[in-house]
This record gives sequence, C-alpha cells and structure tokens, in this order.
Amino acid sequence: MEQLIHITVNGTKEEARVPAGMTLLEFLRERLYLTGAKEGCGSGECGACTVILDGKAVTSCLVLAVEADGKEVWTVEGEASDGKLSAIQQAFIDEGAVQCGFCTPGMIMSARALLMRNPHPNDDEILEAMSGNLCRCTGYEPILAAVRRAAQQESEDVQDER
Amino acid sequence: MLGNFDYVRAESVEHGCALLARTPGAAVLAGGTDLLVNIRNKAISPTLLVDFKGINEMGGIAFTDGVRIGANVPLNAIAEDQRIKTAYHALFEAATAVATYQVRNRATLAGNLGNASPAADTAPPLFVLDAHVEISGPDGTRRIPVRDLPVGVKKTALAPDEVITAVTLPPLATGVRTKFVKKQRIKGHDLAIINMAGYYDPSSGELRIAIGSCAPTPVLLPPLPEPVRRDDPLDDLTAALNRIAQEAVSPIDDLRASAAYRREMIPVFLRRILTALLHEGED
Ligand SMILES: Cc1cc2nc3c(=O)[nH]c(=O)nc-3n(C[C@H](O)[C@H](O)[C@H](O)COP(=O)(O)OP(=O)(O)OC[C@H]3O[C@@H](n4cnc5c(N)ncnc54)[C@H](O)[C@@H]3O)c2cc1C
Ligand code: FES
Ligand code: FES
Repeated sequence: MEQLIHITVNGTKEEARVPAGMTLLEFLRERLYLTGAKEGCGSGECGACTVILDGKAVTSCLVLAVEADGKEVWTVEGEASDGKLSAIQQAFIDEGAVQCGFCTPGMIMSARALLMRNPHPNDDEILEAMSGNLCRCTGYEPILAAVRRAAQQESEDVQDER
Repeated sequence: MLGNFDYVRAESVEHGCALLARTPGAAVLAGGTDLLVNIRNKAISPTLLVDFKGINEMGGIAFTDGVRIGANVPLNAIAEDQRIKTAYHALFEAATAVATYQVRNRATLAGNLGNASPAADTAPPLFVLDAHVEISGPDGTRRIPVRDLPVGVKKTALAPDEVITAVTLPPLATGVRTKFVKKQRIKGHDLAIINMAGYYDPSSGELRIAIGSCAPTPVLLPPLPEPVRRDDPLDDLTAALNRIAQEAVSPIDDLRASAAYRREMIPVFLRRILTALLHEGED
C-alpha cells in the first residue's frame, strides 16, 4: 500500500506517494535524484547514507521514507549555496580528506550536525560525532583536521558577520 | 525496498495496541535499528509496522521518585542527560556504548530491550538498577522488572499485542555506585563479547552484578551471602563472585568469541567492576 508523504528536503517541500518498505535513502536517491548519500552497507554500519533528519544525523538506510513524513531533511546537496562550497566541503578538499569520495557526503553531514549542536567541538567530540562514518581510504586524520578547520572557519565567518 | 509491509502511525497507545491485536504478523517499530536490519536480512517479515513514536506519553525523561524514561526516547537523549549521567552512571555508560552516534539518534532503550539480544548493552545496568518496564496492551497496563522481560534469545515476555511505554528506575540511596563495562573485538562499534554491570551500596554492603552475552538472556547473579565491605580483599571477592557467575552463565561459541574465552573473561571483568565500585576515587 502506497502512502502520501510530505518531506522538506534541503528547504524544498516535496510530496510523493511511496511504498512503506522504501527507505529514506532510496527516496532521496531514486525519487529525488539526490545521489549524494550513498548505500554502503544498508544496515547502519558504515554511515555513507548519513543525512540530517529534524536536526539529527541519522543513517537514512534505517529510516523509512514514511517515517520522515512531516519532517525536515538535509543532505549534502544542501551544503553549497550560490555556487559556493560550504566551509565543511572546502575544508575536506583543503585537508585532503576526500580520496574515493564514497564516504564523504555522510562524513560531511555528520560534521554538519555536530557543528549545528556544538560550533566549537574538541577532538573527542568530533570523533564521537563521526563514530558511525567509516572511511576505507584516508586513515581518518585528514577528516579530523577538516572538521577542526571547518569549525574554525565557520566561527570566523560568524564573527565577520557581526 | 526493505520488504513488503504496511506502516501505520499509532494515534494513541490504545489505537496502536488494537492494531497489533487484530493484525497477524504486526510488529512495533521504534528506532528500527534492529527491526529494519532484520527485515532487510529476511530474518523476519512482518506484515505491518506500528509506529508509536508520535505518542507523547511514550516520550520524555521525567524525574519524579526515580526516573521514567519514555519508550520513544533515543539513546543519545539518555546519554546526554546530565541527571542520568550522575544518578545512574552505568546506564549512561551503556547507552553510549551502543552502536554509533547516528544509530543512537534513532535507537531507543525500549527497542534495545524489545529486541532481547543476549548482548543488549542496556540490559545489565537495568537489571542491577532494578528497573521496570511499563507495558500496555488491550487489557490495560502492567509493570514487570526488566530482568523478567527477556525469556530467551530474541524472545520477550511481551504478548504480540503489547507495547512497552516506558522504563522506570527507582531512586538510589546516597552513595550508591554503578558501573558498566563492555568487551568488544574492535575499538569501533561492535556487539559485546561480554558486557557487565555492577551496583554497590556502601551503607548496606549490597552488591549486584549482571552479565550479558554469556547466556540466552543477560543474567543477574544471585547475591553474595554476606554484605560487601570496601576493605574486603579484591581477590577473594572476585573469586567468590566468579564461582557464582560460572554457575549462572552458559556461554556459546559464536563469531565474536568462544565460550571458553567468555568464561575466562568473567573474572577479569568482575575485577574491573569491583575496582571501580569499591575503590575508584580513593587515593
Ligand atoms: C550498526 C549497529 C550497531 C549496533 N550496536 C549495538 C551495540 O553495540 N549494542 C547493542 O546493545 N545494540 C546494538 N545495536 C542494536 C540496536 O541498535 C539496539 O538494540 C537498539 O537499542 C534497538 O532500538 P530501536 O529503537 O532501534 O528498536 P527497533 O529496531 O525499532 O525494535 C527492536 C525490537 O524491539 C521491539 N520494540 C521496539 N520498541 C518497542 C516497544 N516500545 N514495545 C515493544 N516492543 C518494542 C520491536 O518490535 C523489535 O522487535 C546495533 C545496531 C546497529 C544497526
Ligand atoms: S548505508 Fe546506511 S549505514 Fe551503511
Ligand atoms: S574517501 Fe574513500 S571511503 Fe573515505
């Protein structure tokens, strides 16, 4: 049985009919063609599918699209604005935190959720927030450096605006 | 597509339980971090998922006489609650030991218990804390100790049309200490090879220990015959508890460890727990 859902994705209201068995990840990728979030494992282990659901980082492979009805979702596609990369995206490039890139959208969304709740995280807080994101390539150090740099950059940007 | 099932948001506890009662093969969906994985792996194929997450009385952490943790509260909300961290430290430690940060944003305490895994990390602390589950069904509500909820591997004392609405913890006497420890194969997230929780009340000398991943359900050890004192020799205490524990458990060989290894680890972890409960913070 299909169900009508309304989800706000990256600020845009979306309406769709979906089967109950469809995951939020499938909805984002196959209905909205937002292919940033990836399916690595499909079972909560790898974090490649991480998106922000009502302000919280979640693995979208373990959320049903129908469960997200009425909620707000942010994906990596919502990071850049006016053709400019976000501070987190830029820091991932500058620190060499992207190799094959498969884990990157999930990493960036975990980092975004962290900076939303805690603009000045220490290393332990960064590691905890990224604990569900696996990377086969980088060895994690550049990712840690990128999140540190992004936090620094965003707090400078906030000060510039004042 | 995970599977072919229907999904309904319960409008009230009664509505949800009525759906569970009249739909063969219906299941409660909380965070889905066990249920959806099991559906994906085709270990189960429910016909209907009933989602109670919108129901207010099943949410929130309320401190009254003790604390009531609503069934829908995600583990991260428990881990981030300073009052729980202070008052029920072992539960805080176990909540942060489950899975990963993202999974804990969805995973609930009730789901950890409802899943009835022998390795459920929150079970040993809830056993030693004498926690209870509030259960609702078509015939009303009942309350049972958490330790009576799991009755076998992945089996609970719940009827198919019952739902856990909350977990309640009694207030603790001043000075009571609790501790949780977990052994896993890797530093990252993994289910426990063995997990253990302890409770010690220095004024009465009461010591409680619960062990997970070493029997079909987590096990609360029978009490020691004598009250425990801080200056009791650690070696003797560990040996006495180990004798009780070895009788109480029935570990198996699985992909995480052998039964023999689990038995070997019991005294090691008993010692760690006892050290933390009896001697931590001493000079
Ligand atoms: C990557 C990963 C790592 C994990 N690591 C750990 C770990 O280290 N330690 C650990 O203990 N667990 C771990 N888990 C398992 C899981 O995350 C926990 O057991 C979690 O607490 C389950 O809660 P949930 O809300 O997601 O439950 P669900 O998946 O929604 O439900 C689990 C079961 O409980 C039943 N249920 C749920 N809520 C209720 C209710 N209110 N009343 C009655 N029945 C109910 C469901 O019907 C189902 O049978 C892991 C899972 C994943 C995906
Ligand atoms: S695809 Fe969701 S956690 Fe791996
Ligand atoms: S960059 Fe390849 S998995 Fe992380």
